Amino acid sequence: MAIELQQVSYSYADRSLWKLTALRDINLSVPTGSMVGIAGATGSGKSTLLQLFNGILKPTEGTVKVLDVTIQAGEKSPKLMPLRRRVGLVFQFPEQQMFEDTVEKDLIFGPLNFGMSLEEAKARARQAMLDMGLDLALLERNPFKLSGGQMRKAAIASVLAMDPEVIVLDEPTATLDPISRAELIHLLERLCREQGRTIIVVTHRMDELLPYADNWLVLKEGSTAFQGSVKALADDPSILEQCGLTVPQSLRYWRAVADRFGLTDEAPRLTAESLAELIASLPSGSGNSSEQHEGKRDGHE
Amino acid sequence: MNESYEGQGLEGEGQAIISLDGVSFGYDPEHPILQNITLSISQGQWVSLVGPNGCGKSTLVKLLNALLPKSAGEIVVSGMQLSEETIGSIRQCIGMVFQNPDNQFIGATVEEDILFGLEGLCLSYAEMAERLQAYTTRLGINHLLSKHPGELSGGQKQRVAIASILAMEPGIVIFDEASSMLDEGSRNDLLGILQDMRAEGKYTILMITHDADEILASDRVLALHGGGLAADVTPAELFRDEELLQKCHLCEPYPWRLTRELQNQGIHVDVPASEKELIDTLWP
Repeated sequence: MAIELQQVSYSYADRSLWKLTALRDINLSVPTGSMVGIAGATGSGKSTLLQLFNGILKPTEGTVKVLDVTIQAGEKSPKLMPLRRRVGLVFQFPEQQMFEDTVEKDLIFGPLNFGMSLEEAKARARQAMLDMGLDLALLERNPFKLSGGQMRKAAIASVLAMDPEVIVLDEPTATLDPISRAELIHLLERLCREQGRTIIVVTHRMDELLPYADNWLVLKEGSTAFQGSVKALADDPSILEQCGLTVPQSLRYWRAVADRFGLTDEAPRLTAESLAELIASLPSGSGNSSEQHEGKRDGHE
Repeated sequence: MNESYEGQGLEGEGQAIISLDGVSFGYDPEHPILQNITLSISQGQWVSLVGPNGCGKSTLVKLLNALLPKSAGEIVVSGMQLSEETIGSIRQCIGMVFQNPDNQFIGATVEEDILFGLEGLCLSYAEMAERLQAYTTRLGINHLLSKHPGELSGGQKQRVAIASILAMEPGIVIFDEASSMLDEGSRNDLLGILQDMRAEGKYTILMITHDADEILASDRVLALHGGGLAADVTPAELFRDEELLQKCHLCEPYPWRLTRELQNQGIHVDVPASEKELIDTLWP
């Protein structure tokens, strides 16, 4: 497990009159190398949860295990510096965390800080740029003269340059245009599948992450409302509505087709392309020119 | 759906409330950001302004009320030619709602924030109280009047921003990516507010957006690309044109994408309004 939370609660201003409990009794397991989506309405505790993942916040109750480090409520925490290199946090507006006058300086700042040599840091910076699909020529540019999409990718590259094993992103696609959003999600998927990094994404646009995430965590008022595979979520999306979220259209259309044909064991088809393929393989009703019936005539009326 | 709109002049039947003739803008004359834009928008229309990041959408709307000075061409708003004498009157006709409501909060409470704009219009106290009541009720925020902006959610803040703009009763309301920071529920709320505004007929809405649902709800799409107007089409025409979508960095709504993918599989259906409609069409 890359991350394991056991009965974790977190309260702001714990021993005061203004105590505010943001998370209640959270149990969470994130397998190494998996991609996890976290959803929940505004104020459900998503951002608080993220800050537990590299020790910015310490649990007020329970145990947080991240990689080989254990942080326990009420106990003095171990050295967190190495953990912070291994768990990269990308906040909601990552471009706001850029500050140097060239992209390269921004990218090597973190690695140098964590003790890498200049050579090593520069090599990491170049690799991070390539991983994010950015042109190396941009290294010499002023980060504030990049386009919005490039700036965001460069900011993520600056976290990637530290070679983290776990990358946690808070709404990475907000304010990007739809094409740049799809590109970014695709890049994150590659970091996960090809390089084995653990990717955790907080998002209020579930639809764009649905086809790629292995597991989902849905929070409601600081508690876990759902935790499980995308299949389990697709089997009963009504839980999302109970949490004040809208069921994404891709999920609604999948549900409608699956219900019509009683497809209970099928992996959910959450892209338009895969759903269209499935529909083409199902027996047609009337007038459709679908020739690819695959004999799925049993199991439904 | 705007099928009936097709083939008609997209300028609409109403009187032109905004018209641009040969308008250009650039910080550097060698590299103009907008070049020779000519277009006309009629009263009551809801227009989506689309295009990739950095193509000049925000620049274009800022030229309308001279937040930026045009470098060439003529702009006429509500029958007034834009010039130094008319800037003040034109600005009263145009309300703007931005991406981040935090940037336009001025008052210490919701009430103060909304009254600030009204004070600027030199209205009587009675009139101010009446409008405050009317617009906060309409946007469902009258229970928030004494709240500090810090106590509000993103969606609530955006409602306050909209109420404070509408209370000034501008004929033209410009939304600059007003929903991009909102969660889905708040985005749907905003869409409802816009639909009500259109139904009322007294607002002309100009909306910079990447959101497929917002574009679909509007009457007309103006696409900017490379400093010029690349297309002037209905939302349906935009979503059927894969090349144009790519050029504008947009994606079509899910049912449209599914319809296209079905077509690739040799299954021809109309774009369904809901998943139920699709099922009923495919398997009656």
